[in-house]
Amino acid sequence: MTAIAVEELTKRFGNFAAVDGVSFEIPQGQLVAVLGPNGAGKTTTLEMLEGFLAPTSGTARVLGVDPHRGDRRWRARIGLVLQSTSLDAEITVRDTLTMFAGLYPNPRAVPEVLELVDLSDDAETNVGALSGGQRRRVDVAIGIIGRPEVLFLDEPTTGLDPEARRRAWTAVENLTTTGTTVVLTTHYIDEAEHLANRLILLVGGKVTADTTPDRLRTQGGPATIRYHLPDGTPTGDLPANLAPHIDPVTRTLVVRADDLSGPLRDLLAWVDRHHLDLSRLEVGPPSLEDAYLAAIGDPLTLEGTRR
Amino acid sequence: MTDTGLTAQPRMPSVARLLAAQVGYQARLLASGRAVTLGVIFPVILLIASHSRGTHITAADVAQYAVFGLSLTAWNTYGVRLVAAREAGVLKRWRATPLPRWCYFLGRVLATVVVATLAAAATVAVGVLLYHTHLSLDGALGALAVFVLGSFAWAATATAVTAAVPTVEAAAPTMMLIYFPVVIASGALGSISEPHWLSTLVSYLPAEPLVHAAGTALGYSAGHTWLPGRDVLVLAAWAIAGIAVSIVTFRWEPHRPTQRRSARSSRQVGSTSSRATGNASDAGAAPTTPPMQFESAIASDA
Repeated sequence: MTAIAVEELTKRFGNFAAVDGVSFEIPQGQLVAVLGPNGAGKTTTLEMLEGFLAPTSGTARVLGVDPHRGDRRWRARIGLVLQSTSLDAEITVRDTLTMFAGLYPNPRAVPEVLELVDLSDDAETNVGALSGGQRRRVDVAIGIIGRPEVLFLDEPTTGLDPEARRRAWTAVENLTTTGTTVVLTTHYIDEAEHLANRLILLVGGKVTADTTPDRLRTQGGPATIRYHLPDGTPTGDLPANLAPHIDPVTRTLVVRADDLSGPLRDLLAWVDRHHLDLSRLEVGPPSLEDAYLAAIGDPLTLEGTRR
Repeated sequence: MTDTGLTAQPRMPSVARLLAAQVGYQARLLASGRAVTLGVIFPVILLIASHSRGTHITAADVAQYAVFGLSLTAWNTYGVRLVAAREAGVLKRWRATPLPRWCYFLGRVLATVVVATLAAAATVAVGVLLYHTHLSLDGALGALAVFVLGSFAWAATATAVTAAVPTVEAAAPTMMLIYFPVVIASGALGSISEPHWLSTLVSYLPAEPLVHAAGTALGYSAGHTWLPGRDVLVLAAWAIAGIAVSIVTFRWEPHRPTQRRSARSSRQVGSTSSRATGNASDAGAAPTTPPMQFESAIASDA
């Protein structure tokens, strides 16, 4: 079943096309990350899907409904975690969630949601006394409290420390087991890689790639050896096919080639001679970051791309 | 409305229940802030400081102090809090829920009416208990009606004005700048001599009719006017006008600085060097959303 269907969606502000003919379909239960540089149109696309902005042209359907005409029954099936919103500070986390739960026909129990976002210990704390990461998790809690069939997360972890991000990820991952369709915008490649099973790249208001993380990665160039040299390792006798690939600042060897067997054999022999630690050796496809930068710098027509 | 196939779904909470919950929630928020200090304690302190114990204070005098507390709550406290909530993104958060927008808006206004009316009632109670102000049951009921109408008029007008206040920093000065001339000229803080044209103007602003109507109601005795019709009409007109203007101008989203952007080039290259794809929001692409459409909101939520 299709949860979201977007066809030639366009939003213009004067001469500026923030979103320019975007099309995609998202089946129920998928976790999709929408990626792109600043001004790519991610938030504008989401705001049209959330019903806050009317498109200039094109159509959007979320759960079969035009979002701009969605009534409160429709909105009760949608969960939103928006950018730059906040909550009343003088109310406890529990009372805040109880208040929001009352807006939905079949809400999750407040203790269950507190558990999902790992805030049970802070339930009696006023929202204003929480850290930024904890407040963001309250946002996520409100987004999921109505058992949404579709959840929009607009940069849910921006500004969070690494531990808080991991906790937020866990909360989102817990949701996908219940069949919720999740659309996530993020600046963080690792977040998209960790959470999403599909990536939609927006550049200049257009979809430049609609693919999986693994497929995008294969578009990023040849396979790669990365090896961070232990401190103090002499590099004078590095084989000639490896020596030019050392970054003298980071002391990292990065070799990219279609066939890595020769360089890898030589590296292992050299490592063996010096009795070095191999724990920081990586061999594999290019990083998703490399593939992403390649994709936004020189938009690719990847498999599955709609233009 | 498009059929969303929800016949088997649980029923949506009733709008009456949502509104009642919202009024309670907002009243609790309002009472937990400085509104109580400003709107309840401040007029009472002024009343006590200006009159020695045991003196008799007339209903008209008590009405002045009561209206002072009421209007401080329904205008300043309400208006500044509304701007702060909008600029912080609290309104946007609520707008993203299934709560009908008019329900949230009305909940805030009615909560303010409750707290402002209680503030006025507290001042009247102090007058009755400490200064032997005579108060009949009819007088109390009449004053209650006037306080409810008056605080609704002030809060509705404040809602309309806040749309023109761009920042939290500008909220308190703007509200005060409007408030004090209106209240001082009304005589709520003591009678002043003013030219005829100013008296006429003030009689059409919401402070003077409120003071007069409250004083008349509080001092009601058989055979006299209970609620002065002209004052009630003026207050009702401010309430209706405030709501009408708010429907057109009310904004849910924070004001954003105006951005000028050139037309999209055919190719836009991202510039990143870290693991993040960028550092700032791309929300700048979207301007503030248009004013709330109450009619359509009400129609679709009904």
